[in-house]
Amino acid sequence: MRITKRALISVSFVATASLALAGCVSSGGGSNNNNSDGGTGEVTYWGAFYAPTTEEAFQEIFVDGFNAESDASVDMEVKELTTIGQLTDTAVSAGQAPDIVYSDGPTSASDFARADRTLPLGEYAEQYGWEDKFLPWAYELSTVDGEVSSVPASYGSMALFYNTEVFKEHGWTPPTTLAEFETIAKEADEAGMVPIGGGNAGYQGMSEWLITSVFNAAVGPEKLYDALTGEASFTDPEFVSAIELIQSWIDKGWLAGGSESYFTTDDTANVTGLANGTTAMYMTGTWTFNSLGEVFDDPSQWGWAPLPSLSDAVEPGVYPLAIGTQLSVSADAADPAAAASFIDYVAGDVDRALSYTARTGENPPPLQMSADQFPEDVDERTVQLYTDIPESTNVGYATWTFFPPKTNAYLISEFDKVVTGDATAEEYLAGMQDAFDKEFDAGTTLVPFTPSSRAGQ
Amino acid sequence: MTSDSTVPGAVLLVGPTRRDGPGARRSRPLGTRAQRRLLAWLFVAPLLIVNLLVITGPGLASVFYSFTDWDGLSTPAFVGLANYAEMLTSSAVLGALGHNLLWTLFFLVVPMSMGLVGAFLLSRLRRGQAFFRVLYFIPYVLATVVSAAVWRQILDPESGIGSVVPFLRDVNFLGNPDLALGSVAFVNNWQWWGFLLVIFLAAMRTVEPSLYEAARLDGAGPVREFWHITLPSIRPTFIFLGLMTVIWSFLVFDYIYVLTQGGPAGSTDVLSTVLYREAFQNQRHGYASAVAMLLAAISAAAVLGYLALRRRLRWDI
Repeated sequence: MRITKRALISVSFVATASLALAGCVSSGGGSNNNNSDGGTGEVTYWGAFYAPTTEEAFQEIFVDGFNAESDASVDMEVKELTTIGQLTDTAVSAGQAPDIVYSDGPTSASDFARADRTLPLGEYAEQYGWEDKFLPWAYELSTVDGEVSSVPASYGSMALFYNTEVFKEHGWTPPTTLAEFETIAKEADEAGMVPIGGGNAGYQGMSEWLITSVFNAAVGPEKLYDALTGEASFTDPEFVSAIELIQSWIDKGWLAGGSESYFTTDDTANVTGLANGTTAMYMTGTWTFNSLGEVFDDPSQWGWAPLPSLSDAVEPGVYPLAIGTQLSVSADAADPAAAASFIDYVAGDVDRALSYTARTGENPPPLQMSADQFPEDVDERTVQLYTDIPESTNVGYATWTFFPPKTNAYLISEFDKVVTGDATAEEYLAGMQDAFDKEFDAGTTLVPFTPSSRAGQ
Repeated sequence: MTSDSTVPGAVLLVGPTRRDGPGARRSRPLGTRAQRRLLAWLFVAPLLIVNLLVITGPGLASVFYSFTDWDGLSTPAFVGLANYAEMLTSSAVLGALGHNLLWTLFFLVVPMSMGLVGAFLLSRLRRGQAFFRVLYFIPYVLATVVSAAVWRQILDPESGIGSVVPFLRDVNFLGNPDLALGSVAFVNNWQWWGFLLVIFLAAMRTVEPSLYEAARLDGAGPVREFWHITLPSIRPTFIFLGLMTVIWSFLVFDYIYVLTQGGPAGSTDVLSTVLYREAFQNQRHGYASAVAMLLAAISAAAVLGYLALRRRLRWDI
């Protein structure tokens, strides 16, 4: 079964970090771990992977590479991709976590840090130069009360995926506006296709992929920033219109084929639908890069485009930034220096990370990197994404990365009622604002990066 | 184990006894009464320890946590009855409780009836009974996740039964909120009723055949035999399975979680899926513990109700 969860993102990040470490070994570049500053003990690590080949690559590039280079050693235990988050949560709660603690994003990583279940990593951040290595927004998200508490191990965005042959056959080009998007959807519907992929079968969290896409493309990063910083409300008309836009797609039978099908369509069905031409467009995460090649008979046929603008207020091509995996050091780690050293080995070296990306298709860590650093064997569609994003001024916020946990949980679980028509957009968003208010007042919200348009203001 | 007759119900624990020959004395099975008690406790101790560690301990901990606001990480904060107050006014919990009641009603009626009637009919077969017993029991030994995944495919409107049966083409069994709970119950019943059948059949085999012969001589048909001989004779089994059905119906989780995860829009939510979501998705372990207390209270009420009936009606089980 194809993994469809946010856990996939996290796993990808973990795997990416591991591969990055291995790449460092092979290239001879990157961090020098062969010193006592990197610890000398044994580090326990839980990994989870999309495919056996991904696990193999992680083992070789990161684990074996680190063990060969470092005085410390890593013992990796492989878990199920779909359950590693929950396993880790339970283990952390019970004080039985591995030395390196996996989180599916900055939110849960910060929860661990606030509960003193993971260690502050300030001294290691300085030792390994993480502030300079990572993209500023990702580094900022990894801090709690101003101190680094975790390290982002992979990042990506939401995008619009399509079948290039199908688009060519119908004379479509990737849409950039709502009008273009809905024209394609209408024509696809008339052609008997599912116009817009979607659904939440098997993983209710799939709903937030859709919500992230529509919030960013219809509401826009600036308004989202305002809402996340308490300067605006999720009940404002822009958000209501965004949810009503989704409802209109459901009513027309465009999204996943309609309300009932939404609950019985999973990620695999959507990606397969793209491959066999029964689904026209699918807004999902770039973690899908690692599996599209296996689903399409001709891997060159899948294509992606930045999200179209879904309202007049938003420029086309917004990239909602998302971190899927954060790595922390357990408060009970026997050798924190060794654990931090492995984290840096996994996530802190561009060459190593990209060698893993080239081999597996996994998303790389949010490191400062340029196009010429990508190995030739990295898929050009992946290179395009990771060279476009740093240059873009139109970047937004993925819900699982920037929304506080209870708000995010509400956003997912209550969206079903929007789909079935049991809740209006206003009712749904009022509940979301209530949940957010509580977390905002409690000071557990994360600090989002300032939108590019306001930088320097 | 072998019983010695010295003390009624006592268990022979150590060594042979001298029973033969003139003047042979009946020996006590084991030294002093204190020693026997100690040995008894030693035998029970492993089970008690396991029970304390994995049932009683966590159970008491859940009672404590149900009065706290706890995210599983930080220090629990005592909130008194706030979790219970919220739970008892929560539309999600009350809706789930309603689904549990419907589920219980369904499983008390449908699979129990199917199992009883099926067992009665099978009991009258002279040949092939073992074959049918195995056939009906097979679903019960299949892993829940496997059979649920298979049924998910079967019920898929695109690739499942809808693609074969034209009038079911537009029926989305798991996606339609009005059909989802019944569909999941149907799938669970597919696995469950064969188990009941086998248990009822085993119970029916203990019924004295002369009762049936006498009834036939008096002109009773199969229906009257069932009502007046079979059913009263297997009453202990029937009542036990009924009681367990009530308890299990409130603990149901696996099929619902695999097939619908409580959706669409909570239409298949039961207390255990609400509990799971609150604990592991919303990180509200204190509130989830309160829901667990509600589940435990319902199960306890079922058992106490049974005990009261047993006393009032003077049942022998």
